[in-house]
Amino acid sequence: MVDVCQIIENEILPKVTKPLRYVGNEYNVIKKDWTSVKLRSLFAFPDIYEVGMSHLGLRILYHLVNEQPEYLMERVFAPWPDMEEALRKRNIPLFGLESYHPMCEYDCIGFTLQYEMSYTNILNMLDIGQIPLKSADRGDDFPLVIAGGPCASNPEPLADYIDLFVLGEGEEVILEIFRSMAAHRGKRGGRQDKPALIQELASIEGIYVPAFYEPVYDERNRLKKIVPKEKAVTPRVSKRVLRDFDKAYFPTEPIVPYMEVIHDRIMLEVQRGCSRGCRFCQAGMIYRPVRERSPEVLLEQADRLAFETGYNEISLTSLSTSDYSCVEPLIKELLERYSKQKIGISLPSLRVDSFSVNLAAEIQRVRKTGLTFAPEAGTQRLRDVINKGVTEENLIEVASVAFEAGWNQIKLYFMMGLPTETMEDLDGIADLAYKVLRKGSEIQKRQGRSKQLKITVSVASFVPKAHTPFQWEAQDTRELLRTKQQYLKDKIRDRRIVYNYHESEVSFLEAVFAKGGRELGQVLHAAWQRGCKFDGWSEHFLYTAWIQAFADVGIDPAAIANQAGSFEDVLPWEHIDFGISKEYLWQERQRAYEAAKTGDCRFGACSACGVCQGLDVETVLILEGEKLNDC
Amino acid sequence: MIVRIKYSKTAAGRFLSHLDLLRTFERIFRRAGLPLAFSEGFNPHPKISYGSALAVGVTSDGEYLDVEFTEELPLTDMMKRLKEVSPPGLEVLELRSLDTRGKSLTAVINMARYCVRVPLRQALSQSRLDEVISRVISEPELIIDRERKTGKTEIDIKKGIYALEGCIQEGMLVLEMDVQTGSEGNVRPEEILELIRKFGNIDMEESLRIHRQGLYIRDNPLVRSPW
Ligand code: SF4
Repeated sequence: MVDVCQIIENEILPKVTKPLRYVGNEYNVIKKDWTSVKLRSLFAFPDIYEVGMSHLGLRILYHLVNEQPEYLMERVFAPWPDMEEALRKRNIPLFGLESYHPMCEYDCIGFTLQYEMSYTNILNMLDIGQIPLKSADRGDDFPLVIAGGPCASNPEPLADYIDLFVLGEGEEVILEIFRSMAAHRGKRGGRQDKPALIQELASIEGIYVPAFYEPVYDERNRLKKIVPKEKAVTPRVSKRVLRDFDKAYFPTEPIVPYMEVIHDRIMLEVQRGCSRGCRFCQAGMIYRPVRERSPEVLLEQADRLAFETGYNEISLTSLSTSDYSCVEPLIKELLERYSKQKIGISLPSLRVDSFSVNLAAEIQRVRKTGLTFAPEAGTQRLRDVINKGVTEENLIEVASVAFEAGWNQIKLYFMMGLPTETMEDLDGIADLAYKVLRKGSEIQKRQGRSKQLKITVSVASFVPKAHTPFQWEAQDTRELLRTKQQYLKDKIRDRRIVYNYHESEVSFLEAVFAKGGRELGQVLHAAWQRGCKFDGWSEHFLYTAWIQAFADVGIDPAAIANQAGSFEDVLPWEHIDFGISKEYLWQERQRAYEAAKTGDCRFGACSACGVCQGLDVETVLILEGEKLNDC
Repeated sequence: MIVRIKYSKTAAGRFLSHLDLLRTFERIFRRAGLPLAFSEGFNPHPKISYGSALAVGVTSDGEYLDVEFTEELPLTDMMKRLKEVSPPGLEVLELRSLDTRGKSLTAVINMARYCVRVPLRQALSQSRLDEVISRVISEPELIIDRERKTGKTEIDIKKGIYALEGCIQEGMLVLEMDVQTGSEGNVRPEEILELIRKFGNIDMEESLRIHRQGLYIRDNPLVRSPW
């Protein structure tokens, strides 16, 4: 052990880029005695440190587990290729940052699945950690490998590699899992009998064991049904959900990294879930219902966090912070408390309305970074199709308010390839950009300012996702996406408008893995063998290798990404229950084609998506009932 | 009140870049609950100024910074609080209150003392090492290549070497040196090691440890600490 530490610190770290990624002795890090705990777990983030350390889920689970005296949790991130090479050359297994133990020595490793393009990194990390990739090949001596996070909503592409998936909110269930594991080991002198252990864990609500379910295909190789085997505890596994968000665990002494990470600030999670009901948005569906945290709790957390971390910025995070009932009084109070100490407040996403811009204007004294809005589609018709309740007037109004308040830069997010899209909708994107620009010049002229305006138009390609009304949709072919990208490029010919778009190859693969089933496990393996890793990083993305990998195993990716389905089709995630009923999703899809809007249950009537009824939870708004006085 | 802080960068903190260090110290002061003074303007910064930047990977026992607070506070109290909230990589050693702002640390610090340790791949006698060192220092000029953004440039570091001594300890070459640092010119310890290696044709390992023992104000022949 000591030797390995010495080699890592003296020979490897001085030579790799950003050595702090692998050091792991940050402020507030928790190092526990390896031998005195009942269970040793490792949180594995399949991307680099800077990305992983910005992830709120890691902060929550890491500190929740480590606050329990009988368990320890350490961290591992995907090593950058220079580090990987250095480790492989010396045959040093990938290790947990806190104690430098090799991955294979932990009892349990938990991967978080934040985006499909990180899957090859999971295989690669297991391999550098000297752990067999396939669940079936890992005997009792190897750690239990579990996974959770948003992509567990379609876990099938990873079914061969993961022993069990945690569906829904991890902080609700992780200690139950660990208690079970520790009890199991306790009875066996610290060892595990994996088949028995997995069977025990399968009875915990929210735990999905892929090996207990078998996809059956018809003669045309289409999914016919998913059969629960005899060991399966339930035909459908439901997600876990926190009921009382005020009482939910939230760390107030989080690790403070030395090096700059992407979200290098205090994150106050004001609420969980979003019920706006945008029909393409997976997060908006799988994190339902909305549960707000009360301002008292948030203010107390802010106080502790500011004192314990020393950060100079507090970000109010959630899927749509402007929707939080008490956002205004909360911001007011935070500004009052912290402006003297020069602690800034920030909002990660802004709703397209003047209320939100005014909030931003109040908290953002420096106008250097631009404001970002997401109209998502170029015409009212298409915005109605996707249920994005934003009008052109809204957008022009927020732009005006922003320019009046002194901003010179505005970023607009759109999607391309949405269901029913025509070239007219693309014209609409260009149109909106020009209208915003014109408004900007007009206001600048009037105010006598001359700072260069910049409108950034970022256009992502639509990726159909599981558990959304668009889960049956086909993605546009890559050729069509490219044609559309070029079309829009030709339309935008003002150097004050910057046009960005994503590589269609990446979006295509995302769609394949978002929609595909268990058969993709082999593709993943073949791609990894061909050197694919860090697929989300353009400098590492090897599209040709991917296409060869599909050919290797005889799967046509286009048949997954570019084909639409029908209600009768068996979806690969048919047995995975995130609470939203299939009927509701289909009905929403129908309504999309009629361009009919569906209201937000937070402000209006329940649209019976199924979550609250099915999982026995409810939307929690602070303004409701007896909590009214708090605001 | 302006406080001069002497701190060390330990083995655990040696991979912090200068930017990481700035971020980390601001957070240390905030965690300690000390009333930082800020610059004016839209984007206020805490008033902290640093001595010479330390290269990534190098440890040090003698780094300095000056920080301004809006209130007068007893130093013993401050020291206690700082110790409580410092991360493993940095250690506050001493505090001193400055009467006036005076010249900035970067303007006055012009010499650094380093110790370099590198494992040898061959036997080497003390007399042979002494001979190599005296050959190096008796050269009229010592030209080395430096990578710049604009490409490689050749510079003469001879005038920036003030003292150089060496010994062998348990198969390890240990060099101690006083070299120039600061705005007038900089000599890096690795460069001197490379000269020794080249002049003596000495076979050594690639892994080395560099430790900065201190920063000084050199006003030939006088050398004093910025304390
Ligand atoms: S069941 Fe009704 S109230 Fe609950 S999240 Fe769905 S639409 Fe909203």
